[in-house]
Order: sequence, then C-alpha cells, then structure tokens
Amino acid sequence: MSARAVRPKLSFPGVAGRHNRVPSPYPWLMPVILVMGLFYLYPVVDVFRYAFTDLTLLGGEGHYTLSTFANVLTRPELLQIVWVTFVFTAGSVVGQQLIGLAMALVVVRSEKRNLFGTTILRTTALVAWVVPGIAGGIIWKMLFNEAPFGGLNSLLRLLGMAPVQWLSDPDVVMWSVVLSNVWRGTAFSMVVMYAALKAIDPSLYEAAEVDGASARQKLFFVTLPQLRPAILVNMILITIQTLNTFDAIISLTGGGPGRATEVLSLYTFNVVFRNYDLAAGSVLSILMLVISLGLALVYASFLPKDEKA
Amino acid sequence: MKKSMLAALAAATALGCLPALAEDLITSDRVGPSDAPKKMVFRMTGDGPSSTDPTWAAGYAKLYTDFINNHPGWQLELQMMTGDISQEQARMLEQAKAGHAPDCAAVDSFVLPLFKEAGVLKSLSPYFTKEEIDQLFPFVRDGVTGKDGQVYAWWWSTDLRVLYRNTEIVPNAPETWADAKAAALQSVEAGMEGILFNGSRYEGTTFDWLGNFWGQGGKLVDDAGKPVFADADNRDKFVKAVNYYRDLVESGAAPKRVTTIGNYDDLNAAALAGTSALFVGGNWQYRQLQNAMEPEEFAKWSFSMLPGITADERSTGTGGWTVAAFSSEPEKVEMCAALAREVYMGPANALQEQLPTRADLYDKYDVFKSEANQTFAKALKVGQARPGVLIYPEISNQIQIMMGKVLTGAATTDAAVDDAFKATLDAYARL
Repeated sequence: MSARAVRPKLSFPGVAGRHNRVPSPYPWLMPVILVMGLFYLYPVVDVFRYAFTDLTLLGGEGHYTLSTFANVLTRPELLQIVWVTFVFTAGSVVGQQLIGLAMALVVVRSEKRNLFGTTILRTTALVAWVVPGIAGGIIWKMLFNEAPFGGLNSLLRLLGMAPVQWLSDPDVVMWSVVLSNVWRGTAFSMVVMYAALKAIDPSLYEAAEVDGASARQKLFFVTLPQLRPAILVNMILITIQTLNTFDAIISLTGGGPGRATEVLSLYTFNVVFRNYDLAAGSVLSILMLVISLGLALVYASFLPKDEKA
Repeated sequence: MKKSMLAALAAATALGCLPALAEDLITSDRVGPSDAPKKMVFRMTGDGPSSTDPTWAAGYAKLYTDFINNHPGWQLELQMMTGDISQEQARMLEQAKAGHAPDCAAVDSFVLPLFKEAGVLKSLSPYFTKEEIDQLFPFVRDGVTGKDGQVYAWWWSTDLRVLYRNTEIVPNAPETWADAKAAALQSVEAGMEGILFNGSRYEGTTFDWLGNFWGQGGKLVDDAGKPVFADADNRDKFVKAVNYYRDLVESGAAPKRVTTIGNYDDLNAAALAGTSALFVGGNWQYRQLQNAMEPEEFAKWSFSMLPGITADERSTGTGGWTVAAFSSEPEKVEMCAALAREVYMGPANALQEQLPTRADLYDKYDVFKSEANQTFAKALKVGQARPGVLIYPEISNQIQIMMGKVLTGAATTDAAVDDAFKATLDAYARL
C-alpha cells in the first residue's frame, strides 16, 4: 500500500470546498525545514565545503583543492587511529549493551518482586550518565592514578594484589578507557532496555510458562527476540555516541601514551585545535560521518522489515 | 529622641552597606561598577581575582580594585579560560579572525607568533616608553615585536624549569644526567618513586624536556622556521636527549607512570605525599610547595638547574604570559595596556613571585632578592624560549607522541624520532 493511497483527505471549511484540492503541506513544514537547515544542515554543508579547501585557523586565503583529501587519507597514523577507534567503539558498545540489558532485567525483576534497592540501583546508574565527560575522565584518572596513593591500586594493595599499570601500559590503557566509557554510558542502554522490557506483552511469558519454559528459555526465546528492534536501535545510538566521544578520553589520557588511545574524534580535535588545520579536520569529520552512516545502515539491515517501514 | 534614633539607624544602614558596596566592585565576572559607561572585556587565566590560591586571589582583588579606582567610568568584564590552554588559545585565535575576540586577553607566549602572524593584535607601542621596552629581556622583546617593529603584546612574566629535590634524600644537586639517574636510584632505594616529570600528551612534556636537547646546542627549527631537530646536525643530540629519559624509565630511576603525568599539580601531589624526592618542575611550584607544606617539611626541599649531558651543557625552557589587545577601539587598547602596566608588569610578578621580564624589576621588589629567586634569575641566563614559528605546536605534538612510544617501549628511539620528524615535515609542507 503506498503512502499516497493512505493519505487522508483533508477538508477545511470554506477553503477545501471552494478550491476542491488538498492544501500544500509546505507552509506547515517551512519552520521545521528552516530550523533544521540553519542549525543542522548548514554546518554540515560548510564542513563539506571546507574539506575541499586548504583552510587553516592561522589566516590567509583558502583555495579549493582535492589535495587535502589525498593528504589526510594517506597519513600513516590514520590506520592505527581507525583501529583504536574500532576497539574503543566495539568494546564500549558491547559493554554498554550487555551491562545495560543485565541491569534492566534486574530492575524489572526487582520491581515485580517489590525488592528494596531498585530505585537506588536505577538512580546510581543514571548519576553516572549525567556526569559530564570531562568530569568523568577526571574521576577515572584519580581512580587509575598509578602513584602509590592512586585509588584502585591502593585498593589492590590492601587486598594483597599487585598494582596495575592502568594508564601507562599500552596494552592495558585502552581497556581502562573502555571501562570508564562503559561506566558512563551504561545507564542510557539500561533506560532503553528497561522501556522495551516493560513493553513486552505479559501474555507471551504466560504462554511460555504454560509450555513449561525455563527462565533461560524465556530469556532466549521470548525476551531477546522481543527486544531485538530496541537492541538494534540502541546499538545505532550508542555507536554514534561512542564514535563522537573524545571529552572523556582527553581528560583521562589525552590520547596517550603515544597514540594508544587516540580515537578518530580526538584526532580530529587535535588536528583542528592543535595543528590549526581546519580543512584536514573537515575531511576527518566526513570520514566519521561515513563510518557512522555505514554502521547505522548495517544495524538497520538487521531490523525486522515492519520496524524499518 | 526619635530623630537621633533615625539618624543612628541611617548611619548603621549606611555602614552596613559599605562592605557590600566594596564587595560589589569585584564579582566573579566583573570589576568596577556595573553601570559604568565604558566596558572592556578581558579574557584571563587564573592569574587574577579568581585564582585558586586564596592569598593570590586576595592580592589580585586589591590590585584590580586599585586599578579600577584609577580608571573611573570603566568596568572590566572578566572571562575565565579553562585549563586546556592550547584549545583556549586556538579558539580565541579563531574568534579573533572572525572579529569576535575579547577586547583584551592573556595570550600564552608560545602561541603569540600565531596571533601576530594572523594580524589580529593591536599595537601597544604607543602606550609603553622606549625605556620600558628596552628593559625587556632580549628574548622577550623579540617575542612581542612584530615584523614592523611594533610591540603587539606585553610579556609580563616568565618562568623556567628546574630540578626539585628533597635534600634529606638527595643532598647534592645533580649536575649531569648520570648524576640525576644515580640520585633517582638512590631515592628509589629509600622507598621513593624515583624522578618524576611530565611524560603524557601535554605541552609540558615537550617543554620540560627540551632543555636536555637545547643544552647540547640542538636546534628545533632553522632560521627560516623549517623543522631541523632530527636532521644530520641535530639528530644525534635529539636521540641522546630522548634516550636519557628512556634510560631513566628502563633502569627504574623513573616510574613508568611518568607517561601518565600531564599536570604540574601531579608533581606537587607526589612531593606533598612524600612519595617522590626528585622531580622536574616549574619555578612557580616553589611558592606552591611553600604554601602547601608545613615549614619544617618545606625546609627539606630545594631546587637546582636542570642537569645536562655534562655539567657545562645545560639549558632550560622559558615561557610566560602576555597581555594583548584585540579591540578596534583605541580607548580600549589603551585600557588594555594600562591593565598590563598597572596590574601585571611588576605588582602581579611580586604577588605571585612570577619572574619579571624586565631586569630592573628584580631590584625594585624585595621578593625577588630572595636566594631562591636570585637563583631562578641566574638560571634564566641559560634559558631558551620556544621558537616563535607556526610549526612549533605540531613539533610539540609529535614530541609528546614520540615520548609516549619511547617511554612505554612501544617503539625504538630511532623509529619514534624518525616518525616524529617525518610527520612534522609533512605538517610544515601544509602550512
């Protein structure tokens, strides 16, 4: 059935009757189009325009050129930065999704059983979510501090365990950064999963119980299939959010040691604000846009057909 | 009776209001009466009434109050920068190019060339006498002067890097790299962390280390501003200086966590916690340690010039802050120059014990006659400022990346130096 076929016939007293045709929707859409165009589309268009120039923040007239694309996309460090971004994003998305789902399941079950502490759990997770990225980075920097008075290492020493080089070991630092990002972002996934769990028709669980399904079977054959659209939408959102994350990393590691935690968004920030290369930063922004769109399309392809319509 | 009571009430009310009026002259974002007809926007660092050090905050409050009282009809709108100086300065440069810069601002001396090159600063030459300009140290005068001979900022404070030590554990000042390593290992044996220094992705990492390269006569850029730090003449010196730090970490004389240190406060924290007896820091930390430590604890601490590959090949990085004007209104440019002269050029140096950039001020203020400040002043003679070239921020960025790779053992020194040099030359070609 086409969209045209289901379009309702509008009638406006004294208007539709006189002209006998459907009024144009554009006057009603114009405010939205203007706002979207001005605040969202114009900057994107500008980024594309800058990418085809050699503009810097240092002054001087920019010229239109394709050389910026060639220069940026052939930089030797780019491959490593894309790999670091992949590890950071994959680790964060999987961690946030799994822990968010687990927490939502716990909260829903606890609510059903009227257990004490459900609200505390939910609120605690949400507190981490509202902490600004920079502040979150600073908090974790104190915890990961490798000085003798550092937070987590002091705890490990108390337990008789060896201290960990949380931020100075290139093989460990990425997982420290992922941990801090999962801590911060899990609440969002929890909220999405919680809402989706609440929307599952209870009769499905009743039918499963009648069929003698175990708790594990109910999770795998009722809950997870029912959550599939919500999980995919959540993954699209948190993937894009994670790809754009740099505030927490800049305050936690600054991208180091070396380039061990320099993700694409932080690299873009450094290129613009430390190298003053506006054009190269624009090319990198387009690269991030392409990666985000590509991943969103991949996720969307797994959505049930009726959810995509 | 009734009249006298009313008079007493009126007097009490007036007296009660006085402190309020006085306080109102300085708020967190304004100095001067809010209804003053003329206003200058000043974007500043923590060197002002909002300083985190209560003593300095009170001192600046008095300086600013005196200043605004000397300039009736004016108010200053204060805009605070965050701690991310590189980003703040880049953003301000962008704003200046778009014509939205503050009227007057603190500009870090190492990015001043970028602002001069962009042509966004207004000349302060008309507001300073030739004698005042001649009194500036040569590297300072060169730094603030444009190609046209005009002074485009007033560089009011300078600083340098030194080696702090707890004399109870390290009695003698290390003069060479070998001395420093031996002293650090000695402190490790005493249960300390060893020598600490900035080693993460942070401007201080580059700047604090550069003295080791400069001390050997190394050059970052040639006369044309092209990076040469790893060319045939300089590569050996550069690699030696990098290997000095590498050896400190690999031998255990410095903890691996130096690659996570990107803040001078971390060094202070280790000194206060008594976990380090040796660290590379800035001269301003001397006063911070004094303020934070008990007198008997502070008495154990001293400092000396940074060690060199030999005792005769030593240098140190010198930086500092300037005040510059962006406004197109001459009246505001003059006010900005007055602020630099009346608040910062001398009084603020004395308040914070920040080293003045004029030789005569060391005699004018008693505070600079102290043994510590006299030693700092002597060390300035071997000081070097970062090159005033557009490519410097990228050189610094690449040195920070290289240092991280080398100190964590992720790359050999040679490979890391080659990568840094190539990346810098590529960036230079794009400028």
